Amino acid sequence: MMRQERDIGISGRFPATRWSLIESARSPEAQQRQRALDVLIAAYWKPIYKHIRMKWQKDIEDAKDLTQEFFSRAVERDFFASFDPGRARLRTFLRTCVDRFVANENQAAQRVKRGGEFQFVALDFENAEGELRTRELPASETPDDFFAREWVRSLFEMAVEQLRRECESAGKAIHFELFKSYDIEEGGRELTYEQAARQYGIKASDVTNYLAHARREFRRIVLEQVRLSTASEEEFRNEARALLGFEVKG
Amino acid sequence: MNKVWLGLALGGILGIFDGLTAWFTPAARAQLLGIVIGSTVKGLIAGVLIGYFARKVNSLPLGILFGLSVGLILAFAVAAMPNPEGKHYYFEIMLPGGIVGTIVGYATQRFGAGTDLATR
Amino acid sequence: MRISDTAIERLRAAAEFPDLSGTRYRLMDKLGQGGMGAVYRVEDSVLERQIALKVINILDDQNQLAARLLQEARVIARLEHPGIVPVHDVGTLPDGRVFYTMKLVQGRRLDDPETALGGESECLRSFLKICEAVAFAHAHDIVHRDLKPSNIMIGPFGEVLVMDWGLAKVLGSSHHRDNAGPDDAVVGTPGFMAPEQERGDSHVGPLADVYSLGTILKFLLKQRAAEPVSRRLTAIVRKATEAASAARYASVQELASDITQYLQGGAVAAFPEGPGARAWRWIVKNRAWILLILAYLVTRTLFILWRRFS
Repeated sequence: MMRQERDIGISGRFPATRWSLIESARSPEAQQRQRALDVLIAAYWKPIYKHIRMKWQKDIEDAKDLTQEFFSRAVERDFFASFDPGRARLRTFLRTCVDRFVANENQAAQRVKRGGEFQFVALDFENAEGELRTRELPASETPDDFFAREWVRSLFEMAVEQLRRECESAGKAIHFELFKSYDIEEGGRELTYEQAARQYGIKASDVTNYLAHARREFRRIVLEQVRLSTASEEEFRNEARALLGFEVKG
Repeated sequence: MNKVWLGLALGGILGIFDGLTAWFTPAARAQLLGIVIGSTVKGLIAGVLIGYFARKVNSLPLGILFGLSVGLILAFAVAAMPNPEGKHYYFEIMLPGGIVGTIVGYATQRFGAGTDLATR
Repeated sequence: MRISDTAIERLRAAAEFPDLSGTRYRLMDKLGQGGMGAVYRVEDSVLERQIALKVINILDDQNQLAARLLQEARVIARLEHPGIVPVHDVGTLPDGRVFYTMKLVQGRRLDDPETALGGESECLRSFLKICEAVAFAHAHDIVHRDLKPSNIMIGPFGEVLVMDWGLAKVLGSSHHRDNAGPDDAVVGTPGFMAPEQERGDSHVGPLADVYSLGTILKFLLKQRAAEPVSRRLTAIVRKATEAASAARYASVQELASDITQYLQGGAVAAFPEGPGARAWRWIVKNRAWILLILAYLVTRTLFILWRRFS
């Protein structure tokens, strides 16, 4: 189902069999660990940053540092040693680690700035901060819900971006534009297929076909991303279900 | 039994019965036969009219109203007829007549083969 | 690109939209979500009409759900009844998912608070229509097994449709069992399913549907909380929802006939009554006659007496 060599966005290719992400993250070889971490960073840095801002009420600079530093720690070999895919979701594991990490940092009264031993892809904190400012944490929402939704947001962002690049390189810009106006932008669905067809100079039946194509590709990309950022088949299935709006049946 | 026959039968039976109650009034006993015949004929006429109405109009309130009106009008006609004593018993005749009409109106709306499918 | 909260929901929906390219159907919008699949409004481009399309939209690696959806379509196809939505077509989408199309039902679910059922007797008449559809299925050896308010649709003209036959069981046929999925596993919805169903009993039959119908009746009566519920109706609910299946109505028809009796003011099997109660019910039932005849007799008697003593 998954194409083995797919551009996963931030750090180039991640040639991997399905669940080797965690194995790679535990690998004795630092380079392989780094590659696995890149995948994790891509999917999780935003939710983690926002989580630190919202739950721990850190200011922007502290939250940036803590996020960078958290991932510096994560690349160490024994970081994933205690992770058991059979017992917890990767997402929950990461959030728990972040919480423990921030709590420890708080205890160590004067935190030494370490600056990061690894060279990260520059994380667009301004962008993340902008997203944060536009929304408020409802009182009813638990930190776990918040983290989960931010993870979904980050995942969808990556998927939309990948879809855009794929569509453009395949000469299917209209496909993406239609997808954008019907499935992302506010009020886009008020446009009838006939109106959209006139706007782009195509047939109304093409609108349905183009949209179906873009949605199918989006679905595929999302599922791939979920596969990449989960640690077991079961977790993947559960996350895929949760993502597509389903109650996971117990 | 369709609604017209039902009205006819009910009107006739109630007419006979209504006529016979004249027996309780000693002064009227001598003319009992005439009263019974008249009352029966009146009942039959009312029954046919009300039954026919029920066949055309399917509504309980309207059926009752129609029954009441027919009962009252026919009873008025009877009460207004010249009689030897020169006295008219409007109330005594019209009130029970109206009730009998109401009974027939109610019965023909509730019972009797409908016309919905059979005759329309 | 920044993704807002509403965009998340829309992308979610978009990701699960079925791919209808290459079929005669054009996707309109999503109508609802069932246990295993979603229902969409689509346009049949050949017949130029709108219909509903149900498709599995959760991961189904072992094709279990596909078999169940197919089974559901076959079950409905066997049941041609005004109270059961007709199936038009079954097929496989380009993305490999099984779907079936059916008549697009315009209406509201029974559990929708805006579903207006009118007075008690209209409410019970709607309930009788549910019973008729279920009894029809039973006559064809099919048990629904998941009757509940959310699976009943009420149309704008009072039509009643029993939906979601995905858990239906075909009685006395073993060849269906292989592809019917969880045939004797615990299926149903807590609160609406019979105790034997909850236990996972292998002999779940029509009486389980009688139980569920009883819970639907109870639900309907609860909706009308403002008005007191007659003890005879409560007794009907109690008899339909007896824990021991043998103590329930022996069939859906028996339940329906008790409701009919209730509507007509007749004797209800579920509510044994003494001679006093029976006489009173007779009086209430025939009150119009009694009043009319009494009125006649009273006026007549008054006139006679008045004539005598004046």
